[in-house]
Amino acid sequence: MVASASLTLALLHLLIWLRRRQAWASLWFFISATGTSLLALDELWMMRSQTIAQYTSAIRWLHPPAFLVILALVGFVRVYLRAGRPWLTWTTVAVRTLSLVLNFILTPNLNYRSITGLHQVQFFGDSVSVAEGVPSPWMLVGQVSFILWIIFVTDAAVSVWRRGERRRAVMLGGSIIFFALTGSVYAVLTLWKIIDAPVMASLLYMGVVLSMAYELSHDTAGAYKIGEDLKESEHRLELAAEAAQLGVWVRDLETDEIKATEKWRMLFGFSNSRSLNFNLLMERVHFNDRDDLIHVLNNAIAEASSYELEYRVVLPDQQIRWISSHGQVELNDRGKPERVIGLSMDITQRKAAELEALQQRQELAHLARVTMLGELSGSMAHELNQPLTAILSNAQAAQNFMAQDNVDLNEVKEILADIVEQDHRAGEVIRRLRLLLKEGEVQQQPVDVNDVLEEGLKLIRNDLVNRGVALVSRFAPSLPPAIGDRVQLQQVLVNLVMNACDAMSDNAATERRVTVSTELSNGDGVLCSVSDLGPGIPVESLEQIFNFFFTTKSHGLGVGLSVCRSIIVAHHGRLWAANNVERGATFRFTLPVTSEESI
Amino acid sequence: MSNDSPTVFIVDDDPGVLIGVSRLIRSTGLKVASFGSPQEFLEQHDPQAPGCLVLDVAMPELNGLELQEALIKMGCPIPIIFLTGHGTVPASVKAMKSGALDFLSKPVDEKDLIAAIRIAIEKDGLARQTRAEKDEIQQRLDTLTPREHEVLTHVISGRLNKQIAFDLGTVEKTIKVHRARVMEKMKANSVAELVHLCERIGIK
Repeated sequence: MVASASLTLALLHLLIWLRRRQAWASLWFFISATGTSLLALDELWMMRSQTIAQYTSAIRWLHPPAFLVILALVGFVRVYLRAGRPWLTWTTVAVRTLSLVLNFILTPNLNYRSITGLHQVQFFGDSVSVAEGVPSPWMLVGQVSFILWIIFVTDAAVSVWRRGERRRAVMLGGSIIFFALTGSVYAVLTLWKIIDAPVMASLLYMGVVLSMAYELSHDTAGAYKIGEDLKESEHRLELAAEAAQLGVWVRDLETDEIKATEKWRMLFGFSNSRSLNFNLLMERVHFNDRDDLIHVLNNAIAEASSYELEYRVVLPDQQIRWISSHGQVELNDRGKPERVIGLSMDITQRKAAELEALQQRQELAHLARVTMLGELSGSMAHELNQPLTAILSNAQAAQNFMAQDNVDLNEVKEILADIVEQDHRAGEVIRRLRLLLKEGEVQQQPVDVNDVLEEGLKLIRNDLVNRGVALVSRFAPSLPPAIGDRVQLQQVLVNLVMNACDAMSDNAATERRVTVSTELSNGDGVLCSVSDLGPGIPVESLEQIFNFFFTTKSHGLGVGLSVCRSIIVAHHGRLWAANNVERGATFRFTLPVTSEESI
Repeated sequence: MSNDSPTVFIVDDDPGVLIGVSRLIRSTGLKVASFGSPQEFLEQHDPQAPGCLVLDVAMPELNGLELQEALIKMGCPIPIIFLTGHGTVPASVKAMKSGALDFLSKPVDEKDLIAAIRIAIEKDGLARQTRAEKDEIQQRLDTLTPREHEVLTHVISGRLNKQIAFDLGTVEKTIKVHRARVMEKMKANSVAELVHLCERIGIK
């Protein structure tokens, strides 16, 4: 009966262990339960022995299952309770192994020096065989191993108790100690012939096995409850996600299968019945966004982190939908990425609004630029007049030279080369002008800030000369490239420099100076400044001047600085004004540099 | 540089324009000297050299109008033709008031430029001639003794020898001698000519 009960439990846990290889506790349980059932069978064999020889071998073969049970119980305590001192573990196992070895070396076995005869005793209404003989002193080795084992379990139970898992400590530790002590005492008493009864260790081990089984089943029940709770919270999450218009999806990294809510399927234009995988999802993603998405996902998986991304999907009807996606990579027990859980949201409307705002900002920037160019028209005419003057003079000079008797062909060649050069120069002026007048898309690309500012200053050089303003430029050499739009950055520069000139219109002719400088700033990227020697800005207006329609000039519209600021903000930089210590004001703006080379 | 044939001086900070305009002027057979900045011109210019100045208005640091002022202060009366990218009215008014000969806007046509230069050179020549004559008269005047100078002022104000002798407290005969010396030194054949010479250098 004990044997079959143990065996049933053993097989049950063997199955558990086979299904979940990490459940080592179940394996140990399987071994100890199997050991217990073998022990029970062996004891039955002893009780039924008719000859001394039979009894002797039965008692000898009692030891291997007993060894197995003790070994398995030690293992179980280590794995399941995560307690027990290593040296105690190894000493217990070693002494028990020693007793097993001695059992097979000594004759007839560990327990007896000699068995002299058998006699029958009444046991629960049945007649069973009990040995008569001289107990062997070596039996003490086996009993020492029992004591060590009990100390080991007690120590483990105490540390579990201290850890706060008191129920476990009492249930498992307590019952093992109780049954082990009782069993050991009973075994000692029968073997040393103090009481006349058959050896019955298995019944007591069965007690231990039952308490282990109880503990494990408790765990199984707990796991089931967690599973139920999980289902419940998943359901709630789904409801919340539904209410927030969020699509939820889970990607299994091993199979690449995707499980998703109805809402998610709707967002991505998948029918409810279709089974999904990652490749199908990628097919929906807008061609230009695929690389980005793959890059971000791979990064998140490699670093086992979360990610955020906005991308477009193309629905089966070719409609484009903007998706904002937040995801989290989850790890399995071994710390390997197992799956990605994500939330997706439709942000098409927000994107449309953003796009409209961007367009309006571009239109405004263009308007401000055209206005600015109107003010600069004189300067522009000069820029064009210079090369035209040179071309006309050279051409007429050539005509005169050609009319002479001795034509100096070298001179004519030089003239033609100069004409070509000056024509290119005029073309360049027109190109710059057209760029500034063009209402084009903003082109964010790596630019050399010094180069951009230099070109911008060329546009207004003549205007500065006419206003009698000296220009000082202090450019830091070899700046890392910044990301920006040349035309818009030049617009900002021209606007700031012209403001600086306006501020100095009442200055004496020798005190009109604009300083344009660039430098590399820690953390801010490239810092550009435009300083004047004007009267400065009233402290209360230092921020106000960037407001729309705020102006101190009689002919100003009050859009210049606000457009400048919106341009710089769109470049992820800052634009601000401050008064100089001595005299005048300085406008500064920052531009982030391309990532690798930033300091 | 020869002082005899007139030179066209050109000042423009734009090298392309400077070379082109210089060539154009040279192609018409005129002598040219070009300068990249007003400072360069001021440092190298010889006021004795005849000719005219073709000057760009808009230049950094010292602009065309400022160079004009500096030349006037130095007493260098070279005729100036201004070239400008966009003829701003106040600038041209100021330039003309200060004696600019012409104000041409870029791009300038050969015809206009050369015509203006010819007029300027001619004017410069005349002015130099006038100045040379005045210098000559002044030199003659400088040879007079203080007494003869005194007599001269009385003579040109139309007084008779007798009156002059009375005013200077001497006899008529002495005045006659002085008067003859003055006429000789000033190389004047008549009192009318003497008066004319003195008027040219501002003595009345």
